[in-house]
Amino acid sequence: MRLLVVEDEPTLCAQLCRSLEAAGYAVDAAGNGRDAEHLGREEPFDAVVLDLGLPLVDGLTVLKRWRAAGRNMPVLILTARGDWHERVAGIDAGADDYLVKPFHMEELQARLRALIRRAGGQAANELNCGPLTLDTRSARAHVDGQPLVLTSHEFRVLAYLLHRRDQVVSRSELSEHIYAHDSDRDSNTIEVFVGRLRKKLPADMIETVRGLGYRLRAPA
Amino acid sequence: MNGRTSLRLRLLLGTLVWILGSIGLTGWLLNGLFSEHLGRQFHAELQTHLDQLAANLEIDANGRTVLSRPLSDPRLARPYSGLYWQVDRLGEAGQPAVPAVLRSRSLWDQALAVPDDHPADGEVHQHAVSGPNGTPLLMIERLLRPLDPPGPAVRLIVAADEALLGEPLQRFRGMLLTALGLLAAGLAGAAVVQVRSGLRPLNRLREELTQLRDGRRATLDGRYPAEVQPVVDELNTVLARNAEFVERARSQAGNLAHAVKTPLSVMANAAAGESGPLAELVGSQVVLARQQIDHHLARARAAAAAQLSGRRCRLRPAVDGLLRVLQRLCAERDVELTVGQCPDDLVFRGEAQDLQEMLGNLLDNAGKWASRRIVVDAEQTAGELRIDVDDDGPGIATGQRAELLQRGRRGDERVPGSGLGLAIVDDLARLYGGRLELLDAPLGGLRARLWLPAGRDGDGTTDTPAP
Repeated sequence: MRLLVVEDEPTLCAQLCRSLEAAGYAVDAAGNGRDAEHLGREEPFDAVVLDLGLPLVDGLTVLKRWRAAGRNMPVLILTARGDWHERVAGIDAGADDYLVKPFHMEELQARLRALIRRAGGQAANELNCGPLTLDTRSARAHVDGQPLVLTSHEFRVLAYLLHRRDQVVSRSELSEHIYAHDSDRDSNTIEVFVGRLRKKLPADMIETVRGLGYRLRAPA
Repeated sequence: MNGRTSLRLRLLLGTLVWILGSIGLTGWLLNGLFSEHLGRQFHAELQTHLDQLAANLEIDANGRTVLSRPLSDPRLARPYSGLYWQVDRLGEAGQPAVPAVLRSRSLWDQALAVPDDHPADGEVHQHAVSGPNGTPLLMIERLLRPLDPPGPAVRLIVAADEALLGEPLQRFRGMLLTALGLLAAGLAGAAVVQVRSGLRPLNRLREELTQLRDGRRATLDGRYPAEVQPVVDELNTVLARNAEFVERARSQAGNLAHAVKTPLSVMANAAAGESGPLAELVGSQVVLARQQIDHHLARARAAAAAQLSGRRCRLRPAVDGLLRVLQRLCAERDVELTVGQCPDDLVFRGEAQDLQEMLGNLLDNAGKWASRRIVVDAEQTAGELRIDVDDDGPGIATGQRAELLQRGRRGDERVPGSGLGLAIVDDLARLYGGRLELLDAPLGGLRARLWLPAGRDGDGTTDTPAP
């Protein structure tokens, strides 16, 4: 799962990125409205944490432009401005959630998980596929109740496939959603992560659809 | 009405005194002039009769005084008509005077008694005497001494009833009084109308100022006469500057609060990553700081709003907007948000943002506690809006309710929140002259009942919250 954090205060931005990366997300950051708008238009994020008071272009305008351009990833507004008329304006501009500073990191993460889950059409915090369960709150996966030991990249690949269970996901799509913008992207590594996951999961759970990509499904 | 401070009374009294004074003086002058004119005319008429008498007087061969022909005025032939003449022969060399050797027929058998003041020959004297039946007469006399043949001097007397002079004067005074009275009444009426119409703009100004004070308008926008308009313009300038100051102060308070919140977030996050007493202290102080900021920001907003007059906003769009937000914020929980009764024409007499702040906090609180349902109901009763926000949560024990409305108290620590929501709503409502009541909801949970001043649509600046 790949997130965009838009926050102009560098320390807070770094804290957010660190904390979200620790929770298993690939995180991109933008420190002003113009960069944020560009990234949000060009890159496929699974969710965005958006501050409103931004240099160059304010957050509300950025959000409206994304929505006008047809970008419909879930957006959580994280702002110091907690007045209700500002919340109404934020939600009406197309935000999916609104969190007021100062905030608890746990609450932010819980809300992001919920946004991503709802965007993928999932109702519960726990994603299931046959014997495999993944708790988005604790970022832990189990097979038949036994914990799986996963690296952060393996976790991201598995979580993304689980959110799109029974759908074909291309290698490039996977790569776009598990790597941050500035990291080295090598779609060959995806094969490596999928290969490792296959060894840890029951046989045939990750199917290769020739020429298209991968599909996660419950074993027959 | 206080005479010293009432402009209308002062203007009216001044005008009336002036009108009555000038009309009184005019009346007195006209009366004097006319009376003098009549007196002169009366005297001239008597003189004419005297001249005619002198011209017609002859001494016959026997030395008797006779009239060659009667005097022309017919009144002289009518008994006691009020116009008389008489000729006295004056005694000479020891002979007694003979009064009334000749007299007008109008004197009948009466004779006029004349004060003996020995006028010189040809000299005319005037006397006021008593005539027939005691009527007061005005009389002129003149001595005539015949030379050919020489004889004793005769006194020619012509007299007229003073009533002949007084009657037209009396009639004239009556007419004059009526005319001047009518003129005074007309002028006084005109003065009243003038003062009323002249002061009407001031009444209008007072009405607008009352509306301004009651919050029914934001500026004075009537058109006024050139003498009043500068005052109105100045007042509007002061109002606009006041509003600008309030707005600036409010936005500065907001900016400061928001500027502080980001560093607070950084501190809270840093502390959350650490363990130990310092981290705990930082964590708890950040919560306190946020509570203080929220509370004082809300108060600054409300105090500013109470200063601004003439704001209005519709209730329904505010409720709808907040429900949209709450539906997002409660998306994780299966809570049904419904609006029961809330007519579209309900208007809150105040700032839209403050209404959203109050309702938002109430809905937020309901959202934290509701198990499945939140219902908003609103209606207008006798100039007040009654807005109920009901939930089906655990409710609040009666004894705790008053405590909860105090600053910074939290009813229950189980649900996250600053705990200030309800206290802020109560504070804001009170600044608007309203109040917050915590009751039992029919759904089983808490009913937060908000009373706010109602406005009428279109009697002030209506700003509608974001749809």
